[in-house]
Formats: sequence, C-alpha cells, structure tokens
Amino acid sequence: MATQRAVRLRINGRDHDLTLDSRVTLLDALREYAGLPGSKKGCDQGQCGACTVHVGGQRVLGCLTLAMQAEGREITTIEGLAAPDGTLHAVQAAFVEHDAFQCGYCTPGQIMSAVACIHEGHAGSDDEIREYMSGNICRCGAYPHIVAAVRDAAARLGKGTSL
Amino acid sequence: MRALEYLRAPDTATALREAAQPGTRFLAGGTTLVDLMKCGVERPARVIDITHLPGLDEVTVSDTAIRIGALAKMSQVAADARVRTVAPVISEALWRAASAQLRNMASIGGNLLQRTRCTYFRDTAAYPNCNKRNPGSGCAAMDGLNRNHAVLGASDACIATYPGDLAVALVAFDATVRIMGRFERVVPVDQFFRLPGDRPDLEHDLAPGEMILGIEIPLSDALRRSHYLKVRDRASYEFAAASAAVGIALEADGRTIREARVALGGVATKPWRARAVEQALAGKPLNEAVIRDAAAQAMAGAQAREHNAYKIALAPKVVARALMSAGGIA
Amino acid sequence: MTSPLNPELKRRTLVQATMMTGAALTASGAAQAAAPAEANAVRQPVKHGAVGSSLSRADGAVKVKGTARYAIEQPLARMAYGVLVQSTIPAGRIRAIDTAATRASPGVLAVYTHESGFRINRPKRDLEGGAATEVFVPLQDNLVRWNGQHIAIVVAESFEQATEAAALVTVAYEASEALLHPTDSRAHPQPMDAIKAEWGDAAAAFASAPVKVEGVYTTPREYNVPMEPHACVAAWEGDRLTVWEPSQWVGGARQVISEWMGLDIEKVRVVSPYVGGGFGSKIAPHPHVSLACIAARELGRPVKVSLTRPQTFTGLGGRPRTHQRLALGATRDGQLVSIVHEGWNETAIDDTHVEPTNSVTTLMYATPNLSSRHSIIPVNTVNPSWLRAPGENPSTYALETAMDELAHTLGMDPVALRLKNWADQDPKAKIPWTTRQLREAYAAGAEAFGWSRRNPAPRSMREGRELIGWGMAAGTYPVWRQPGEAKIILHADGRVEVHSGGVDIGTGTYTILAQAAAEVLGVPVERVSVSLGDTDLPRAPVAGGSQLANILMGAVHTAAVATRTELLNLAASDPKSPLRSARVNDLVLENGQIRPSRRPTGGVAIADLLKAVERERLEVHRDTFPTGATEAQRNAGNRSFTLMQPATASGGSAHAWSAQFVEVRVDEDFGTVRVKRMVAAFDSGLVFNPKLARSQWIGGMIMGIGQALLEEGLIDPRDGRVVNANLADYAVAVNADVPEIQTISVGIPDLQATPRGGKAVGELGIVGVAAAISNAVFHATGKRIRDLPITIEKLVGA
Repeated sequence: MATQRAVRLRINGRDHDLTLDSRVTLLDALREYAGLPGSKKGCDQGQCGACTVHVGGQRVLGCLTLAMQAEGREITTIEGLAAPDGTLHAVQAAFVEHDAFQCGYCTPGQIMSAVACIHEGHAGSDDEIREYMSGNICRCGAYPHIVAAVRDAAARLGKGTSL
Repeated sequence: MRALEYLRAPDTATALREAAQPGTRFLAGGTTLVDLMKCGVERPARVIDITHLPGLDEVTVSDTAIRIGALAKMSQVAADARVRTVAPVISEALWRAASAQLRNMASIGGNLLQRTRCTYFRDTAAYPNCNKRNPGSGCAAMDGLNRNHAVLGASDACIATYPGDLAVALVAFDATVRIMGRFERVVPVDQFFRLPGDRPDLEHDLAPGEMILGIEIPLSDALRRSHYLKVRDRASYEFAAASAAVGIALEADGRTIREARVALGGVATKPWRARAVEQALAGKPLNEAVIRDAAAQAMAGAQAREHNAYKIALAPKVVARALMSAGGIA
Repeated sequence: MTSPLNPELKRRTLVQATMMTGAALTASGAAQAAAPAEANAVRQPVKHGAVGSSLSRADGAVKVKGTARYAIEQPLARMAYGVLVQSTIPAGRIRAIDTAATRASPGVLAVYTHESGFRINRPKRDLEGGAATEVFVPLQDNLVRWNGQHIAIVVAESFEQATEAAALVTVAYEASEALLHPTDSRAHPQPMDAIKAEWGDAAAAFASAPVKVEGVYTTPREYNVPMEPHACVAAWEGDRLTVWEPSQWVGGARQVISEWMGLDIEKVRVVSPYVGGGFGSKIAPHPHVSLACIAARELGRPVKVSLTRPQTFTGLGGRPRTHQRLALGATRDGQLVSIVHEGWNETAIDDTHVEPTNSVTTLMYATPNLSSRHSIIPVNTVNPSWLRAPGENPSTYALETAMDELAHTLGMDPVALRLKNWADQDPKAKIPWTTRQLREAYAAGAEAFGWSRRNPAPRSMREGRELIGWGMAAGTYPVWRQPGEAKIILHADGRVEVHSGGVDIGTGTYTILAQAAAEVLGVPVERVSVSLGDTDLPRAPVAGGSQLANILMGAVHTAAVATRTELLNLAASDPKSPLRSARVNDLVLENGQIRPSRRPTGGVAIADLLKAVERERLEVHRDTFPTGATEAQRNAGNRSFTLMQPATASGGSAHAWSAQFVEVRVDEDFGTVRVKRMVAAFDSGLVFNPKLARSQWIGGMIMGIGQALLEEGLIDPRDGRVVNANLADYAVAVNADVPEIQTISVGIPDLQATPRGGKAVGELGIVGVAAAISNAVFHATGKRIRDLPITIEKLVGA
C-alpha cells in the first residue's frame, strides 16, 4: 500500500518538495517536515484554532487537513505574513500595539484568523469580531485586546484588502 | 491513526468506482472524518479526496427551491445573500455552528454525516462498550455522565445526540437529499436519518459507496420567516444544549398562524421534527401564550437519564423563543 | 488614584523602607537585602521605556511573526517521536501488557513499559525541600493508581507511526476497588493542622449571633489547559542531558530531572525561552519528561514527547475538587462576630496536594472569633496541582459569596458590609499590613462601575427577557519573595544584555527587565536585550506565586546600579578613558552618556568609553542575597521552594488586593449567563508596566469567567475517567464570552513588600471573580448557586 508519497506543497509562495506519509496533517507537515513551526498544535482535534492557516485564501485548521489535500493550493502561514523586508503585516503590528497576547502560543492562529476575519468582512463591530474570532482559544485571556487589535487593523486596512 | 492510502478523485464516476473497494471512505472537509480517525473511531484503509470533483459546490436559488451542492462549504452557504433572504434559518444554523475555520472546511454533505459528540463514543481506548462502534457491546453513556445526551429518540442501545445544526433546519422544511450510487435517488432528510433502535451504528440511509450529491430545500412562506436559535453554555464554538429551527407563515390578516415549522437540535438522536407543536399552532393567533402552550408539546415522549433532564425543561423554551423571534414578538 | 508625587506617600515609603531594612537585619537565614536607595526616590513622570511605562512587549515581534521557538520546536537531527499509553482503569494492577503488535508496527524503535526495568528515581517533593510537585514516577511497578496514568511509551521514527503503534498496546488489568470521590464513606480525610486557625470561641459566637448565614461551597476539578500542551525534547551528548521543556522554572526542572536520572545536576541543562502558558501547570516537569529522557538515552537519539490534549488531563493534575462549609455570624448592623470554616480538597491516593481553602477566610475581615480547618482527602486521581491562585481562589469564592449572602440577609450594601468589617491589621498574624489600598479599590471600582445606581433587590433589574445582575467581591493574593540574581553585559558595540534563568510565561519578564536596566543605565530600552529561561543563565526562582517579577526587578536593578558604578569607576580611573581626569563622585550616567555632573554636555557614550579603554564588554553579576550567602543558599533559591518567604516575613503582612465588579445578563427562560461588563480595581503596588500588567489582570478575570460559568472536569463516578478531557467538552471562555473589561490600578509602591515596591499581579486577577459573578447571578435571579460552574441546568427557568 502506497502510504508514503512525494508531495509538493506551495507554502508562502515557495514550493516545498516533501515525502510524506498519507496520514500527515498539514499542521504536522508544516511543523515537522517543512521547518515552519510557527503554526501551533494546541489540541490536534479542531477545538482550539492554534493551527489556523490559509489554504486557497481561506482560514482553515491545519490539524484536520491532510497535507495531501493541500497539494496544488496556496498555503499561507504566519511565517509568510510579514513583508519580505520584515515589515509586519498590519494585523501583526496591531497585535503588538494592543498587547493582544501573552504567552504567544495561540497568536499565530489568532493572527491568521484575524487577517481572514477582516478580509471576509466580519470585523464590522466588536460583537461581530468576538463571534468570528471565537474559533481561536486564548487561555491567557487576551480577548479584549484581540478585539481591539482586529478593530484597529481593520480600520487601517480598509475593506476588501487583499491577504 | 492507522496508515492509509490517499487518492484524489478527478470526477464523480471515478470516485464512485474507487469507493466500491472495502475500507474506503470519501474525504471532503475532513472535519469529522480526520478527527474521528485520530480518535480511532474511523479506521479507513483508503480515503478518496472528493473536494476536487467538479460541479458539486454550487448554490442555486430558483422560484421553488434552494439547491446546494454537497461540496459547497458551510461558510459559503451561510454567507449567500439569496439564502439569507429566502431561508434565514439555513444561514443561521450554519454560522452558529463550529467556528469560522471549520465552516470554511466542512462541506454540506459532510455536515449532514457529522457523527455524535458522545464522549464515550469518542474514547475508544477506555470504552469498548459502545453499540455505535461495536454493535451489541453495550452503552457506557446510559448510566454514565450523560448531560449532553438525548432525551428524544433514544433506545436501550444508544442515547447519543445528533450534534449538527443544519440538518435540524432541513428536517423542519422538508428538504431532500440527492444521493448517487449505482443509480441516483432522492430521500427526504427526515427519512435520511435513522433512529438508533437496536442498531445505532446505522445512522443514516446511505449505503457503502454511495455519495451525497446535494440537498434541495423547497421554498415556502414559513422558510422566508424562519429562524434558528441555539442555546449553549458558551456563547460560541459549542454544540447546542438545545436548539430550534422554526418558521411561521401567517394568514393574510397578519395575526393568525397559517403554518408553523419546528424542529429540535441538541436533544435528540436525530434531527427532530416536532409536528405536534406545528399542529398545535396551525390556525391559532400569534401570541406568546399560544406559542408557549404549543411549545410544551415538543417534549412529548421525552425520557431523561441522570444528568440530562434539564434539556426537557430547556427545549420548549428554546422552541417558544425561536417562534416568537420568527413571529416578530420576541 | 493616589498621585505618586504625594508627599504623604514619600514619607510613608521611606518609613517602610526603614522598617524593611530592620526586618532584613533581624530575619534569619537568607533574608532579603534592603532595597537600594534609588528605589525609594520619588518618581518623575514616566519616560518612555522606564519602569512604570507602558512599553509594548519586547518579545512581541517574534511572537507575532511565528519565529519564537517553543520547546518542541527545537530542530534536532535524527529526532524520534514518543507517544504515551495511559491506563483505562482507576486502580489495580497490570496483569499483562502485550506490545508484540506495537513492536511489529512500522517505524517503531522501542516500547518501554514497567517490564523494561528502567530505574527512574523518586524525586524530592516541594514539601520535602525539593522541586517536584508529584512523587509519581512512571513505569516503576505494575500498579495503577488512577485512570489515565502513563503505563507505556512507544517511540518511532515519526509521530504518525508512534501514534498508530501506541494504539496497538493491549493491557490486561487486575482491577481493585477504587476510591473515586472524596465524599465516599471509605475516604479518610487528613487534617492539615499546620494551616488551621482558631481564635476566640467561634462555635459559641456563631450560635449566639443575631444574624447568620451558612452554606456549602464547592468547586469541581479544574484544569490549567495552557494552549501549549505539555511536551518536551530530550537529547543526550555523552553523559550530558539537555531538555527543551516548557517550564515556569528551569532550575526546578533541572533539579527534578537530575534526581529522576540519578545524574549530577551540573550535567543537566534545561532550556525554556518561550512557554505557551502554564498557569501553574509547568512549575515542575511532569512524569512524561522522565520517559523522554530515558528513551533518548536508550536510543541515543533526541526524543520528542508530547502529551495529546486529552492526555494532559491525567498526565498532570489541575485544581482539585474543593468543598467548604462556611458559616458567618454577625450583629444586626453587620459586624462579624464569628467565622466558622471547614474545607477539604481531594489529593492523589498516595501523594499530597494541598489547596488551602482557608487562606483568605482567615485574612480578609476582622472577626473576634474564628475557627478554620482544612483537610485533604486521598482518592484515585493524578496528583492535583497548582492552578492560578491555588488556595486564595476557592477560599475567596466561598468567603465572598457568603459575605454577599450576609449583605443580602442584613439588607446592607455589599461594599458597605465589607468596609464595616475592615481589618486594620492581619487578623491571623496580628501584624500591620505593609500597604492595603483595598478601600481605594472599592471606591475606584464602584465609581467606575456605577455601583451606586444598583437596586439591591434581586430580580429588580431587567431588559427585555434578560435579568440584569450586578455583583462584586474582593480579592487578594500574598506577596511571596526571595533573593534573586542577574547579570548585565555591556558591549562595545552599544548593546546591553540582561541575563537571568527566570522564565517569561507571557507575564512580561523580557520587557520589564529591559526597562529596569535601561532606566538605571540611561540607554534606550530598545538597545537592551534580555535572555531568559536557560539553566546556563544566572539562577532564578520559579515563575509562580506572582513573585518572579518582583524578585528579578530587584536583582536587575541591583546589577544595573553596580554596572553603573563600575562604568563610572572605569571612566575615572582607566588611563585610556577620556574622563580619566574626573573624580568618580563627580561623574553621572545619563541618557547613555557618562559626563561630569556639572557639565550638561560633552559626555562619553558607554560604548565609546568601552572602546576607548579597549574593553569588548563589561560584565556585572549581582544579586539580592544577603552578603555572605553561600552557594548552597543560592542554589536553594534556584532548585527548591525553601527560600520563599511568606507574606509576613518583613514584619508587615504584604498582600495585593482587588475589588471586582461584574454585570451579568441571565436569560430568564434559558438560564444562560453572559457577562456584560467587568470593572476591577487592583492594588498590586508599583506596576512596572501598566500595559502588560493589565494583560495579566484581564487574563485572570477571563479565566475567572470560565471558572464561574463553564469549567468543570467531569469524572465518571464508575471508573474515575475524565470524560471531557478535551477543549470542546471542557469549555473555557472564548472571545464571544468576554465583554469590555476596565482595570484600574490603585496601588502605591510598597517597599516593605519588595525591593522595587511591586506586589502580586498575575495570580491576583482571578481571585474573587467567580464570587463576583455568582453574586451577580443571585442579584439577577434571586437564585444562589454555591456549586461552580453556574451552568444552564442550575438556572434553567430561573
């Protein structure tokens, strides 16, 4: 049974040629095989959002996506968000400015989720941000600051901004 | 998770042909299947990724019905402006479910097949006794911690709650499922889901190798004036303690209920149509007393276990409030 | 708020500093040295980057870019992956463990069970002068002590292979009778006499009290659930062992690991630069870490072991179930005459964890009669452990709920009742408070909340179908302290480094230590880089008990002052120095320049001085130990809890204080509770960085929302299994559960408490929150829930 396979993943604009067991999730492929541990494993069962990445421009959970499923799609992780010169994305900058995290472990997922939340048009009010950011658990309890950061970044980015 | 083979199907015919092999499962969004593979509940030897099949992700709205392809994403349907107009209950049931990320992944077809969140069902290491996993092995939940378990539709073999939201809305509004196997067939959603009886492992009317192609929801006045209300401890990202999908059509006088639709989630072993409530409302004036009276009938036949009696108290109130919201008197 | 320029304050702080010096001189053992005189100075308006300024998090950029490397993200060649197998019965013996299928599974490198015969030594418990928080060591016998105990580890080439193979282990048990609930009649409570308190005749005074309230208050098993699961990488190089372990205390982890392995502690290194949350659960390494070390040694490869999220619920313990019977007797005008308290917490069947339910009961209010006892009750569970404000949290929950009941019974305002029973001094220790800005906290909190507009009658406030409830509670957390060390390195290229082995668990240590150094050295704070969380760095105590910031701020300040002195000496004495003709007493260090004090310009930058005198670096290592402290004492602070001094050590009773105000909305049909507003005023003494301190406070408050309304470990009474061992079924608060939160600082520098005048921050945030919410729920519904969490079934139809 062919369970090991060559797979080409396009991550942050770059092709990664990996040989993966079919079971490997996108999250483990990033963390253990592609050298991109920025996406975090918090529960490994779709219950916390720490592994949130963008596939095909949509926020999804890396822990419930098989890596093979993402072949041929654009994958964006936290490592691919800042500009090539290191300038922070507006959401990243807003997270620092508003102290929207403490331990930082849920932060990559929060930020990837926030970028998508704004892009989807779900940052129209604080309550809407709260609802649409509820798939990302923060045990440090930075939620009010996350809401402030998303609100602020959304205003800075304006509507319909590209990811 | 056991080792498995991953195949990507280019078209429906190939997918169906490959699915004939034993031990094969279709893989769409993965939010249920991959999760349950990690739990050891699902142990396929092969998965066929069907997310690339053409033509199955469309949402169309005609004068008579909404048609949703099986591979449309929950988020896509929830955000569809036409759906929100003609069927608010569908959009609400979708966006109140799970999280934004999961809704971007989960397909409509897969969402119907979402399996129970019974923690004993999911804990394969400690509880071999699960009639859903191992028919005839018993039920650990029956005398266990069953706060989240069903009070309606349960059997001596299983009290696991159907966890989904969308299907609750679908049964309320007579939606049908289009299924492809050796031939194409259409089944009402209400019949698609089975009661556990003595075979709780058989959850729905989908034969091995068959695939859901889509769902169809007939348009109606009640659907246009519909609402999904989900009550839970946590404000978001949690399964329902009790939910209600409802719709009301009024007579021309604007005060008399011509037709009501009611279904319950979070309290039953399958999406639960509450026809008794509907009948009690038909022809009655739209007011709180009438609605509360009628909603009390939602729990006919309900049976509580040690920890879930609160659902019997809660669900009629959820039904009542949902109806009042739909009727504009909440 | 009190102005920091208040002359009254200046006088008081000087008095306190004097008292503190006296205390340091009279205390025995490794007492804390007096604060440097600089700390006493009245502060100017806070400059950017100085202590007290709201600087953004120094580790912010690496965390938002995803480049901060957490423990198991250490990339090592030839990594092997370990996955644990846990028991599925609560008590008994393993009759047989079949690993044949596991060993035959692809990629498997090794399977270790109790039959493998590897010795892991029992570590020294914290209570015995060690660092371990549990005595259990895995795979040493065939005994099963709780459901979910580690019984095997499977190591394979990949995580997927190890996971699959671990599921193939089959175990035959010989079950024995288990004791699963502390109320089981066979259970044996063990009184904790060391923490009992008695004064007056509480029973008689209660019996004759004109007004009485009495209740039983319970909290369920609660779990820390930091977002980063407990996981580590162990790697050997010869006989030297390095463990990348998310740790609140690398010194303690090193001690425990060296004991487990029977290894000279000098050969163990623990690295933990970033920790994905701990909240008490990463104080000491848990047993899975020992298995990673063993497997790495046997295989000669680095081994990564991560508990799955469900395994974190039984691979280590959270807060134990607690139970308190509390009776308050009062006069008709609200004066307490008696407090009668009896509490217990569960503990492991063969281990000890104490969650002192009376730590606040005996502290908060003045009463002439008090009786309080606490017991622990062993059951078959993983040993419980610390979770945010252990003791103070449940203790305050019961006391502050009971006070609300008393206020309601008396028809008195809850704030007024608390002021009526104000304790002028520590009622138990009978010594004065160091500082207690609790009155200010009540006033500021009530004002900001609009408390005066509260209609006291339950069910009197509503909007539509929602009942509105306003509740409040006080909170407190003690000031723990001990000496600390720090190193400062000045580089000729202008960089400034601060080194400490202490850990930043999201609390802001990286940031505030840079502030402390920058302030004294007069350099831009951005030029200071802080290195933390490594046993190769200067020794530091545990990041727990809200003590580390105060300890390290004192140590870094001391080191920075010494650095400044050395710099000035160097400037005045080195023949190559441009300032060699100046007298050292005439030199000052300001804005990164050394210059004669009478000349405002013409200074020499620190980096230029080092270049001129041909020094690449200037390294200064200082501490706040008393002069002459031995290496053994210094190690004790790093490897045990023995130097932690209680709140009363300075001769004053040092505590942080808070007042919590909450508005809830309760749906009258559903019984769902939503928190709509929170206002809290905190007395944490001097706040080193208001922006980051607020994050700590709101973090505690939000965890308090979860505790009040959501969090409950569901333990199957038949087999002791945690049936909701995951983040979907063990619900913590999500973003939508959390409203706007206002925090107010009412603290003043408390130099008797700590060298820089700070008190507790992180643990304080959660204390009192559950009571305030529960009191608000009563106000909304008229229904008193004394059993957390307040979930739908307790209120439906309220």
